[in-house]
Amino acid sequence: MQGTGHSNMAVGSGGPGSGPNEPGPEAFVVIPAFNEATVIGGVVRELIAHDLNVVVVDDGSSDETAGEARKAGAIALRHALNRGQGAALQTGIDYCLSHGARILVTFDADGQHRSDDIPRLVRPVLDGTVDVVLGSRFLGTTENMPLRRSVLLKLAVLFTRLHSRARVTDVHNGLRVFSRTAATKIKISQDRMAHASELIDQIVGSGLSYQEVPVHVRYTEYSRAKGQRASGALKILADYLLGDLTR
Amino acid sequence: MNTFQVLGLAICGSFAIGVLLSMLHHRIGARVGVAWLLLWVTAGVAIARPELTVTVARALGIARGADLVFYFAILAMFIGFFAVYTKFRRVENDITTLVRQLTLREALDEHGPTEEPAHRVPDEEA
Repeated sequence: MQGTGHSNMAVGSGGPGSGPNEPGPEAFVVIPAFNEATVIGGVVRELIAHDLNVVVVDDGSSDETAGEARKAGAIALRHALNRGQGAALQTGIDYCLSHGARILVTFDADGQHRSDDIPRLVRPVLDGTVDVVLGSRFLGTTENMPLRRSVLLKLAVLFTRLHSRARVTDVHNGLRVFSRTAATKIKISQDRMAHASELIDQIVGSGLSYQEVPVHVRYTEYSRAKGQRASGALKILADYLLGDLTR
Repeated sequence: MNTFQVLGLAICGSFAIGVLLSMLHHRIGARVGVAWLLLWVTAGVAIARPELTVTVARALGIARGADLVFYFAILAMFIGFFAVYTKFRRVENDITTLVRQLTLREALDEHGPTEEPAHRVPDEEA
């Protein structure tokens, strides 16, 4: 699915190093992380194997998230206080842009994304087809996704389609790719989880072209325990609507 | 004038004088000061001349003066909640900006110089 007037394009299935459209040395992956010491090392190592610059933003964790990320080879930034995933993402984006990033990938810390999906997501941005690529689990595949999570995510999609008029099938998917131009235009003000809807708003509002690409999302016991509950979804909605009013 | 009216007027008068002094010393802006003055003067008038609330209520199609006061109190509460929430969000955003700048400064010390910052910090935008 693609926005701002581009026709749908076929998405290939390249892997790392599969051709001229590899991410390259100016591609940075931003991982916001909060108390993810047990899994962050594995996630970072998987990404580094794809020759990507990995920036982990430890959002005031009380465990060794930053240390583990650094040991695995990532650049680890650390928020002195927990400010939320949206805030950590923006910090990571600012850091990457100031270090010459041309391509920015956002990636979840809990290991639910597959690094092998990144080359396919990067390609449309690298070849200039679109400014932003959004990963979609509903166009792709999922593993062990709880039904309740699926229903909540689809309600979020419905809300975003109505509110932002964005033609998307997955809003709260942490796997996204931004061109440098797009990342410079994005300014996340929703510090917590409502940033996902805000991002879509800003993409549409800034006139950036976007496309969804199917991705695989795996739900482990760990990622399910870390995920949002129904009450959390209501809080996200309240944050988003009140944030809209107070902006 | 009964005891409640005397006490009520004394409280409203004290707050109104406090607002005036704050305006004179530029501790609050003119618009905010006038809004608070209006609130305390209206409350004072409603306490001193309760029959006026009945007249205003009937003009608005509400049966009782007490209902009018109740509705206005609810409205004022929501406005107050919104004002506090807006302020709270600004403070939250300021804290985030501060935390981010500290983080990026630490990173600068650790990983070396950077190019132009992508986003200007608020004081540069002012």
